[in-house]
Parts: sequence; C-alpha cells; structure tokens
Amino acid sequence: MVALPWLESVGLAAANPTVAKRMVHYYVPIGVVRRGFFPGEADHVIPKGNLGNFFKSLGKQDPIFGVKPLEQLTPTLEPLEPFKQKINLITGMDRTFQQGTDVHAQCASCYLSSAKPYTIKGSAWPIDRTLDHLVADHVGRETPFSTLEFSCNSHRDNKESIHFDNISWFGTGHLAPSIRDPRKMYNRLFGTGQATQAKDVTDLVLEDARELKRDLSYTDGQKFAEYFDALRSIETQMKRLQQMKTELAMVDFPEPPGTYLPRGEYIRLMGDLMVVALQSGLTNVATFMIGPERWDTPFMFDSLFDKPRSHHQMSHNQTKFIDDLLRVDRFHMEQYVYILNRMDSIQEADGSSLLDNSLVTYGSGLGDGATHQYNDLPIVMAGGGDRVKSGQHINMPEGTPLANLWLTQAQLMGLEVDSFADSQAVVESLTV
Amino acid sequence: MTRSLFLFAVLLSLPWLVGGGGFVQSLAAEETDQTDAARRAGFEKNLLPAFRQNCVKCHGQADEVMGDVNLAKLVDQTSLASDPELIQDLIQVIDLGEMPPEDEGELPQKIRGSMLQELRRQLELAVAQQDRLELAEIRRMNRFQYNNAVKDLFQLQSIVFTLPERMMREHGNYFKPASGKMPDDVKVGSRPLGKSQMIEKRLAGVAAFPQDLRAEHGFDNRGDQLSLSPLLMDAFMSLSQSILESPDFKPPNVGIWRDFFAAPESETSIPDELRRRLRPFLTRAFRRAVSDESVNRYVDYATRQINNGISYPQAMKQVAGAVIASPRFLYLYSTSFQPETSGREASTVIQDATADRSADLDLASRLSFFLWGSIPDRELIDLAEAGQLRQPEVLQAQFQRMMSDRKLKRFCDSFPSQWLQLERIISSVPDRDKFPGFYMLKYRHSMHMMLEPLLLFEAVLIENLPLTQLIDSDFTYRSPLLRNAYGGPDGGGKGGGVGVLNFRRQEVTDRREGGVITSLATMTMTSGPERTQPITRGAWVSTVIFNLPPEPPPADVPPLDENPSGEESDLTLRERLAIHRERADCAGCHEKIDPLGFALENFDPIGKWRDTYENGREIDVSGRLFRRHEFSDIVGFKDAILAEKDRFVRGFAGHLLSFALARELGPQDQSDLDRIAAVTIADDYRIQTLIREVIFSRPFLGGVRLSDQRLTTSP
Repeated sequence: MVALPWLESVGLAAANPTVAKRMVHYYVPIGVVRRGFFPGEADHVIPKGNLGNFFKSLGKQDPIFGVKPLEQLTPTLEPLEPFKQKINLITGMDRTFQQGTDVHAQCASCYLSSAKPYTIKGSAWPIDRTLDHLVADHVGRETPFSTLEFSCNSHRDNKESIHFDNISWFGTGHLAPSIRDPRKMYNRLFGTGQATQAKDVTDLVLEDARELKRDLSYTDGQKFAEYFDALRSIETQMKRLQQMKTELAMVDFPEPPGTYLPRGEYIRLMGDLMVVALQSGLTNVATFMIGPERWDTPFMFDSLFDKPRSHHQMSHNQTKFIDDLLRVDRFHMEQYVYILNRMDSIQEADGSSLLDNSLVTYGSGLGDGATHQYNDLPIVMAGGGDRVKSGQHINMPEGTPLANLWLTQAQLMGLEVDSFADSQAVVESLTV
Repeated sequence: MTRSLFLFAVLLSLPWLVGGGGFVQSLAAEETDQTDAARRAGFEKNLLPAFRQNCVKCHGQADEVMGDVNLAKLVDQTSLASDPELIQDLIQVIDLGEMPPEDEGELPQKIRGSMLQELRRQLELAVAQQDRLELAEIRRMNRFQYNNAVKDLFQLQSIVFTLPERMMREHGNYFKPASGKMPDDVKVGSRPLGKSQMIEKRLAGVAAFPQDLRAEHGFDNRGDQLSLSPLLMDAFMSLSQSILESPDFKPPNVGIWRDFFAAPESETSIPDELRRRLRPFLTRAFRRAVSDESVNRYVDYATRQINNGISYPQAMKQVAGAVIASPRFLYLYSTSFQPETSGREASTVIQDATADRSADLDLASRLSFFLWGSIPDRELIDLAEAGQLRQPEVLQAQFQRMMSDRKLKRFCDSFPSQWLQLERIISSVPDRDKFPGFYMLKYRHSMHMMLEPLLLFEAVLIENLPLTQLIDSDFTYRSPLLRNAYGGPDGGGKGGGVGVLNFRRQEVTDRREGGVITSLATMTMTSGPERTQPITRGAWVSTVIFNLPPEPPPADVPPLDENPSGEESDLTLRERLAIHRERADCAGCHEKIDPLGFALENFDPIGKWRDTYENGREIDVSGRLFRRHEFSDIVGFKDAILAEKDRFVRGFAGHLLSFALARELGPQDQSDLDRIAAVTIADDYRIQTLIREVIFSRPFLGGVRLSDQRLTTSP
C-alpha cells in the first residue's frame, strides 16, 4: 500500500532542516492471548476463567537471556511480516505490582511511569512523570505541543476512573488527559477560530491573576507562581501554532466527520491524526491507547463480530472465547502495522522515513488478561533507523524490569540519564 | 451561672485538664501578668527536676538519646519555649502513659499531674510567643468543590460531572437536615466497583479533571495536594468552555439563565446592562469584592463580542467561561493574613475597615467550603460585606441555616468517608475460594457495607446525637443483604440488588455490633484477602478514633507469609506476629497499636463473627487500652474506648478542624482543641455542638474578631 503523505516534504525541508527524533507508545489493554503472541507458547495451557490475581504465567517461559533473528512470526505477529527488519520482538520484561489498587487500573496508568514501586508517598499509585513527558522535556521544547495523548476509547458511559483510560501523566496525580474524539483532536491541532477566543480569555484571566497576586502573602505568592507558569506554557503553545500557520495551512487533512465510524476506521483516523502531527512538527512525542483497560461495557468491533463484545469479559473466559480473542489481538496488531506503514511512507527532509526517525512501541501492561500477570509482557519496538539493531527476538532474563527498555529509549531519544524508575541496565542488544 | 464560670466547671471535669489546663490558663494569662521570671520559675520547679529524675537517663544523659529526644539539652525555659512541637509530644506521651516505658515504672501521680500542667502552660506561652495566625495556603479547588461551585454559581439542575469519590448516592431526597430526623427507610445507591450506579443527570460532553489525592493523615482539600500543572491549566480552560458549550447548558437547566444569559428585553445601553449583571456575578464567583477595573475588563470583553455580532447569550457564555477559568474562581486563598515582613512596622492586628471586610469574606468562604463544599451564597457574602458576620448571634444564625440546608449533604459526601478512610473498601478483594458468599454476580458485598457507616454518620449529624453513637450505636441502617451478612434473617423485602438499595433503620441490641469500628465495612477493609490484619486494624483505630496515627513501619521488615509453614502453622496469629516483632525498634509502637487490632480478632476478614481460628485455636482478644483499661472481649473493648470517650471527642475535633481549615494542625491549635472538646462534652457530646465550636474557634475565625468578645455558648 502506498500512502500519500499529507504534506509535501519539500515545504517542510525548508522549515525544518534537521530531522527531529520522535517517540510513540501504542498501548494495548487487557494483555494478549499468550498462545497466539509468544513464540514457543502455542501449546501452553489456556487459562480457565478469571484467575483473579494469579499473577504468574501458567506455562513456562525461557528464563535465560537470548537474542535470535526474527524468523517465523506467531499468528498474532504475522501482520508485522513486511516490517520484520524494522522491528524487535522483546519478551521477558516485567513490572512490579504495588498492592492497593486495581490490577487493570495500575497496569495502564503506571505502564510508562518513572516511579519506583512503593516510593510515591501518600498514594497507592506508583505514578511519577511518565516516559513520554520526560522525553518531551528534551525533544518537545520547540513544538507547539510537547506531547499528544490519543485514546481510541469509544465507550459512551463513564464507567471507569481515569486510571483505566490513561497512560500519560505529567507527574504524581497530574494526569495528561487523552483525547478520544477525532474532531476534538483535529480542532486541537488545526483549529484556528477557537485560538483567538481562547487568547481573549487568557488576557482576561491573566489580568485577574495579576490582581490576585497583589492580595497574597509572600509564601502564597510563591506558590501561585505555578499559575503563571501554566499560563505561559499555554501561551507558548498558541504562539508556536501561530508561527507554524503557513506550514499548517499546507496540510491537506479533511476535517473528521461527526458521524459514527466503524471501529477500524475510527482507530485509523486517530492514527492518521497522530502521524500528521508527528510529520508536521506539531509534536514529537505521542501516546496512543487502542482502548481502555477493563471497561466491561460491550461495544462493536465492527469488522470482527456482528454483536457488541466486551474484550475484558472475553479475556476472563479464554477457554470459550480464545478464537475471538485471537481475532481481537490480531486486529490490534493490524492497526499498529497501519500506523507503521503510514510512518514509513513519509519521507523526511534528509531522505529517511518518519518511521526511521521514530521509536514506535507496541505493548501491554498485562502479560495475559486472565492471570493479570505483570511479568513477561508483550512488547514490540519498531523504527529507530540506524540507531537501533533490528530484526531480532530478544528474550530478557527472568525479572528484567520494563524500565530497562524505557531507559534505553530515553537514551536513544538523546536524554542523558542513567536510570529510569526501577531500571537496572539498558537493553544492550537494541543499541548499535 | 455566668458563661465563664460554666466553662470553668466544664474544664475542671476533664481528665486531661485536671488542675486547670491550657484554656483556663489562657484566660488567667490575660488577667495576671506573666513575667519572664514566673515562666522560668515554673519550668525550674515543675519540669527540670522531673526531667532529670525520670527522663534523661535514656533521653540525653551520657550520649544516650533514645527516639531522638534529648531532654538534657533543656537546661532553661527558653530552650523549651523555642520548640512547641516537642512540648506537644511530651504532653502526649506523658498523658497517655507511654513514657516512661513500662519497665521503668510509672511516674508518681502527683509528679505526672504537675508536669502535665506545667507543660500545657509552657505550650500556651510558647505558642503565644510566636503569635502567628496560621491560615491555609493558597490552593486550587479540588474537583469535588469545583463541581459544587459551578453548580451553585449557575444554579444548575444537574451535577457537572460524575464524581466516583462520592461513595453514596441519594435517591428520593431522604436527606432533610431541617427536619432534624433521618427517615427510617432510605433509598441509596452505592459506588459498586465500576461506577455506573453513580451516573446521574449531568452535563453532557464535560469530562472531569483527575481526582485529587488526599494528604497523608489528612483530607483532599489540603494545599500540598492541590497544585496546578500546565496540563491541568489547559484542562481547566477547556473544561470551563466545555461546561458552557454543553448541549445541556440551556435555559431549563440553568437557574440564572433569565437574569444573566438571556438577551435583555428592554433597550438599554449594552455596557450598562452588562455591568448590572456582571458585578453580582463576579462577586459571587470570586467570593469577594471586585474592583471597578475588573468589572470593566469583563464588560469590555462582552461588549466587544456582542459588537462583533455574537449573540447575547453566546457572549455571556464566553464571559462566564472566562470567569470560571479565572484563578480568582479556581483558587482558595486568604487575604486577611498578617504581614510577614519584620522590616516594616509590625502591626499584628489589621485594623482598618478594608482589612476587616476581607477577613469577614475569608470567613464566609471558609464556612461554605467547610459545610457546603462550595462557594458562599449571596446571603453569606452580603453579611460579610456588611460587617455583620462577626456578630456572634449572626454567625450563630448562619451556622444554623447552613446546617439545615440540603447542601449539607456535600459535607456528608466528603468528610465522613475520608475520616473513616472508607475508600479502602473499594480495593478490598477477599479471597473468592475462602469467602464465596462475599461475591454476588460481578459485584461484592462491600458496595452495601460501605453505606452503613455513612448512613449512621448522617443520622448522628442530622439528629444531633452524641458522638459516642459513632463508637457504640444503639441503632443502624442496613439493607436485607447486610442483615443477612451480619448473621440475622434478612427480614424479607428487596434491596439486595445493585441498583437502588433499600436501607432500613433498626435497633442494635447486640453490643458486638453498632458503631463504625465493628461495622462490616471497617472489618473488611482492614483485612487482607485471606486473613485479618490486626496491626492494620490497630493502626486504623488509633488513627481514626483517637487521631493518633502511628509512625510508618521501617522499610526493611519482611511481611508475614500468607500460608504459614511447618512449625508456625500451629500458632495463632498473635503468636506468629509476636515472633515477627522482636525487634526493639518495632516493639514500642506495636505495644500501643497491636492490642487495638487484636481486640477485633473475633471478626473475620469479611467481618463475620468467629470464636476460633481455622486451625481450631481459641481467639485471644484480651489487652489494654492506653496501658490503663483492661478488656477481654469486644464489649469490654468498646467499654474501654468509651472510658476514653473524651479523648475520642478531642481526636474527632482534630480531624474536623483540620478538614475545616484545609491544613495540618500544629501546637498552636492544641488549646483550641481542648476548648472545642470541653464544650462538646459538657453538652452531652452532641455532634452539632462540636461543629459549632469548630466554627467559633480562634483558628477557624482567622483574622475575624467577633464583635462581642464574650464567648457564646451553644443554644
């Protein structure tokens, strides 16, 4: 498939002579069916029912470190065939569950967190500034949006808390809320009329803020500085959008319809919005949740089933629904591949592809939806171009924290850090 | 009896004030001239020798400094007065009999009494020396307050967004505080483990900002938890827009539509009309007087929009959106602080009328955020602006009006669940194999359990009952499912479902039940999935009931195995835990908190009564409370707590005052807590008296000096 870029790369070449590094995290909720995803597990036992907090794999995984060329792909990974030389399958990575919060809520909300387990005082969540924001502090300083958060949660009820629906956090207790509505995202990226109104409002509240500050004691005045900082960063965002106006005007992206979109089209539209934002320099860092954790309400997987289904409920009945779950897993993988495809078809100023300049990671916070295990998570990392060794299946030794991979990515993105959350080392097999 | 004599009699009857404690002393201090010499003499006579004789052996002598407390350094009164926190700690450990430690022998009663009396006097002096009004730091509204404030400002018919932190939903308006009576039958909804039950009519298209975290041993209204990030700022900006743009933000749902949003019917000058509408609106939204300059800014903005051809209601929506995005709406702050710079002429009391007025307005806000979780209404603001709120009878009347208003439900939606730490039950997952009866379909019994203590609290509050009902109530509210779970017949009727739950008031005759401590909710949420956790329960009792939160455990202590191996499998839990706390640095704390947890061992991990453990061993619940009150069963334990009910009342006053002030309490608040407790106790422990005394307390009044300095008593 040849995708037409939304932007003429010539136009961008003039504006952006150096090519930026980008990072994307594609999050898959409720784990995967292990038999379909992990090499060597095709004959493992199928989990029966909801194993609650079993927290372990039912079958045995290879506890020994090993790197092999990526050859025969498992059924769930098959859609990745055209990208075999641009990806790494990484198995054996673990997170530590911190008692006190729901397994599904924590596996998503803490997936990218930089907090060591049990270190955040006064909170049951080991959440600290997440990887995307830490990286954006470095590579997002010039873009209008330092990060963008996408979620393909099409549920209409308000059933679950924020922890099920978000992987991106500005800091402990400070959510970076995701956007689910493609029109809302479109307006955030390309909306112009609203910006003027918001500007007026900003002026009004800024005057209020100045007046307020005069009434404050010294210490309160110090704390209130946070307000001006926040306003300033929004103003910067508006200013940069203004500066990019000419370039953004060249973007040929139709406004998303307000009508119902079948699930696949909806996800791909959100994917298109993310890719165009990365391509046009609106942001360099994005997170993309393919769906929320748990959320029992059934909904339509249009191309897969003719009735609404609940991914979560099926995951607790694998013996009955294993084939349907495998279709869901494969469907999610196909959407990931769609995004890789789009990114690979976009040529940047230096002739490389957008994918080559990005790290695009597929992953889930659960190793299996029935056992709720936090160990041996399914991870695929794509892109990175020459900076990354690709085409491998890397099996990390038992007990390797997922933070090792996040540390590796932070370094690949140019951060000078030597630790991240509970990391112990970098994943050396990935780096050149 | 005159007021002060009455109060004096009350204070004398209190165990921790025997011989005249803090408050009496402060009254006395105004009359007699406390010279430095007298202070020094008191220290040298009542404390110094006692420290030397009883304390310094372990605390300071010959380099032995146990628990990091060095009393040998306290050579004179000045060194003691400079450390009010230390004085507060000393009072606590001596008063509770924690020091000297058991094996060192008790202090003679007389010495103990004189030490306590002198320490309280020294604390009062030390605090007076600092003479600073502690106001809560500036903070943004939490989302519960934001929701209420937006609803009240626009007089919305629905809530703004769903709040999962509200654990109980009211059906059929049973909550009528003005009636002074909770109905016998109430219909409620619970937050099940998802929250679809909590979905009520709200503004479509409006998404809440994240739930605010609670402070450790505190509440979710504290400044240290409520900061603002650029993202949240962005969220507030778009939140305010989405509220005004919601399809549900339309005339029938918006109480102030006609007066504020609708286009004027008569031809008037646009700026004049805007000014007429905006001044009261801004005053209400910002809870204080607004300058002409501010009003004009908003008027100019709206005029511009209207002149640009935007419709009148739409322009007003844009203005309103800006108002609720303004920091003057979003932030809670005081302007009646005392100057902190010492360079300028230090005037500790602000005297001019403007300052008085801002102190009065601060008080109006404190009142409404305390009892209504929201901005003050017009009446409160008008009274504050007119300088009348500082008249004790006006303040009293406002207190009563607020207590009778249905908005008091918000207090019930925020304080009791946080005080009881009830959110912990949401993550309680008793083992399915061991406790299959706990689960029904995809729900848990906990969704019924969590409502019982909340309904008890509401009844005690509305009916102005003694606080002791929270410890040992003679009634409760239960659903058929709960009646069953407590081991009784369910009494028929529906109410075991997951939608609207029917709770009925019933007598409690079995004293093992009743009150918040032995409720199924508390017993379940302080247990692990497979076994009870006596230490967790003990810490809960100590923290919640007595407001004495234990120090956190050292990090390097390994947890108990869920399934004891070999030789340990024949031991009782108490014996197993004893092995695990042989470390000296653990024993001190555990001696205090463990008995409070073991006392509850007859309640299994889902709160059911049991006489023996699974391995057949008898359950031993015997222990001592505060090293004073022996007990050997749960009823005896409740009696022991009731014997210390004055301490419970003071602890509760501490929780409530901290919630009301939105800050941590310190040494400077201790004598106020004494006074609040004393008056409450003298009035038969009535809860409304306690709330009233919190409001009339010096820290709550802030910079406001009541126009009549006589202390008024509760009616």
